[in-house]
Amino acid sequence: MLRFLLRRLLIAIPTMFIVVTLAFFMMRAAPGSPFVNERHLSPEVEANVMAKYGMDRPLVVQYANYVGGVLHGDLGPSLKYKDKTVLRIISEGFPNSLLIGGMAMGIAVILGVSLGVIGALRQNGPADYTAMGVAVLGVCIPTFVTAPMLVLLFASNLGVLPTGGWPTATQPFSSAWRYFVLPVVVLSLPQIAIISRLTRAGMIEVLRSNYVRTARAKGLPEHSIVLRHALRGAILPLVSYLGPATAGVITGSLVVERIFSLPGIGKAFVASALMRDYTVVMGVVILYAGLILFLNLVADVLYAALDPRVRLS
Amino acid sequence: MKAWRTWALAGAALGGLLAAGCQPGASRAACDAGKLCYERGNVSDPLTLDPAKSTTIGEQHILGDMFTPLVQYNAASEPVPGIATSWDTSADGLTWTFHLRESKWSDGAPLTSADFLFSLRRLMDPKLASEYAYLLYFIVNAEAINGGKMPLTALGVEAPDPRTLVIHLTHPIPYLLRVATHSTMYPVPKHIIDKYGEKWTDPNRWVSNGAYIIKSWTLGDRIHAVRNPNFYDAKSVCIDEVNFHPGSDAIAVERSVRRGELDSANDIQSNRISYLRQPDQIPDYVHVGTWLGTTFIGFNPAIPAFKDVRVRQALTMAIDRDFITQKLMRGGQKPAYTFVPPGVASFGQPKPPHWAGWSLERRQAEARRLLTEAGYTKDRPLKFELKMRNTNDPQLIYPAVQADWRAVGAKASLFPEESQIAYSDYSARNFQAADIAWIADYNDPMTFLYLMKSTTGPQNYSDYKNPAYDALMDKADHEVDLVKRGQYLVEAEHMAMEDATVSPLYFYVSKNLVSPKLTGWKDSLSDWHLTRYMCFAGHKAAEPFD
Repeated sequence: MLRFLLRRLLIAIPTMFIVVTLAFFMMRAAPGSPFVNERHLSPEVEANVMAKYGMDRPLVVQYANYVGGVLHGDLGPSLKYKDKTVLRIISEGFPNSLLIGGMAMGIAVILGVSLGVIGALRQNGPADYTAMGVAVLGVCIPTFVTAPMLVLLFASNLGVLPTGGWPTATQPFSSAWRYFVLPVVVLSLPQIAIISRLTRAGMIEVLRSNYVRTARAKGLPEHSIVLRHALRGAILPLVSYLGPATAGVITGSLVVERIFSLPGIGKAFVASALMRDYTVVMGVVILYAGLILFLNLVADVLYAALDPRVRLS
Repeated sequence: MKAWRTWALAGAALGGLLAAGCQPGASRAACDAGKLCYERGNVSDPLTLDPAKSTTIGEQHILGDMFTPLVQYNAASEPVPGIATSWDTSADGLTWTFHLRESKWSDGAPLTSADFLFSLRRLMDPKLASEYAYLLYFIVNAEAINGGKMPLTALGVEAPDPRTLVIHLTHPIPYLLRVATHSTMYPVPKHIIDKYGEKWTDPNRWVSNGAYIIKSWTLGDRIHAVRNPNFYDAKSVCIDEVNFHPGSDAIAVERSVRRGELDSANDIQSNRISYLRQPDQIPDYVHVGTWLGTTFIGFNPAIPAFKDVRVRQALTMAIDRDFITQKLMRGGQKPAYTFVPPGVASFGQPKPPHWAGWSLERRQAEARRLLTEAGYTKDRPLKFELKMRNTNDPQLIYPAVQADWRAVGAKASLFPEESQIAYSDYSARNFQAADIAWIADYNDPMTFLYLMKSTTGPQNYSDYKNPAYDALMDKADHEVDLVKRGQYLVEAEHMAMEDATVSPLYFYVSKNLVSPKLTGWKDSLSDWHLTRYMCFAGHKAAEPFD
């Protein structure tokens, strides 16, 4: 186990290095510059700006400096948000995206797995069709449609939830939770759909397998067969899906953050890419890549724990 | 598994949610009892809180509340005394002397003319790399200092005593009082900058001299500001706290204002205005007024076809501007046949080009004739590419422009790009025709007309080089009489319009949604609304301003 973890860590280092390198040069290859807008800079001032951020040096030197900084935990200053460092921007936005995304993922796993199991057990019955119908709808209707519709219903018409925004830091959870409801629901709907379909498919397959038949033959009660034996095998495909999906959800969604005016990292990431804020884009890419590597590792460990056939070595 | 149980649970949860949420004002941001809090929608998050580095409109709204310059805008956007109580001008208009009131920084430190001197030198420091320093290049030696050719101390600004500031100009600037309201002229706290350097704008150690001070800033969420007890006119301030919420989505912002979560917002969609004005919507919230901005098309003279004035004229007169403003924009925007927006101060009666009063049919017939004369026929049509920003408004209007051009036999292809890239292409002259927007930096025709001076460089997008135009601009620069100066500028503009160096499309409007509960909001040309002049219905400041 320890050897496995060590080996994965050793593989992670060159992977991260390649990600950083690709992102750096791709960003610089994109047309435009962070310092151009309709107010043109005089050549002297532009030279000063470039020098200030070390961008007057050859690209390779800039790259070396950047990688050196990253190794020391310094992601540099934002080129656009002049008062903020990249670390500051990430530390302000990421916890909020993590909170919303984490809640959405938690709900999605609980509801998705339940719906999937119900569907598999009552295959082709009304419960199955209802559950899978909901799931198909969840996948088909994009968040930029569900979000405004839910806002219209719960905020504008019923007036029970805010149209968007974020609670203040001092606000107690007893009133703050209202701000989380709609974004969490919108983020979790498509995940519930995917998770329930994956679970259902896995469950149907496992329920037909020999060891479940053996369990039935031994006369085990149905709930024990489903929850203790079948589910373990059925959620294996789900586990490998959850790694990258969780990374995607907790790093924020542009659509959801825009529609609900949430201070998350997803909006900041897209805005930075459009404004050519190289350092912020790089910082978020590193965060995202790190999360994917980490969550994939978690998925692999879970795999071994769930499936006795998998040995980590 | 009992399905009914699940449904019962879900129903109970939903019921609980509805019951818990049904409280009046439940979704407004928390505000301490007895305090007046203004939830203010703002176009965007600031890129910086340093007035010397500020470039965006969103920043200007915030910083205007935090700093008070020598001269400030009143509620109706006219320049009135700020930290300076009075000022004198020398007869030649080249020396301005400002007399300062006794006042303090928010931390209690005295604010003197030395702070203003420091702020202006800092602005011109090449190391600070301020993008807006050029606005004050009319101060003696400013341009040379900003270009690194002279020391900071050479700047034509003096502080002979703590309450007097003298500014020397290279040529008379009749609009100096209006420029003096701009963020480049805000004082910044020397004692704090000496201590913390570039990090002085951290909200945790914020010091400024305006009606409010910043307490916290979370990107994408809000800027939280509270009253500055040391503001010289603190008694006239009514609202205790103001939260600036960056708008991310225009429709979402509109919903928040309707729900009372925001008291005002300034980035509503143009094509929503007529809907919002319907009696069963929120007509009393809608504030639309003339704004100092122009959208226009630039022609790159490096393209052989655009060297020919007949081609530029034909393309300019073929456009149906009424269709654009009335059918597409629909927010009260005005069709533009000249460059300087209506209402700009110190400008004469604009003289549109000779064809401006013609009917569209006559203009398009003339355009066809001009194009044929220039050698472009049905078999050999004029073909070019128009680069445009891929934002809402340009994507709405340029297909219409394209169709108008097609009607006179010119084939334009549209090439949308992200704004950043479009402007960088324009600056590099990597375009044939270009969609450009220009918003006034200050209320004077100069902020528009200098764009077409041959010495302006990259921002003279059509590379207009007309010695007669330059001479008129120069004459205006050295004219102290405002009426005569206005006439020179009108003449210059008329010259550029007859030459069709650019093709103006329409003038901007300011678009605000303001809750009727918020009092003291006045619509104005500069669309400038300081929180210190505002209040809520039924409340008032200890000693109201004015």
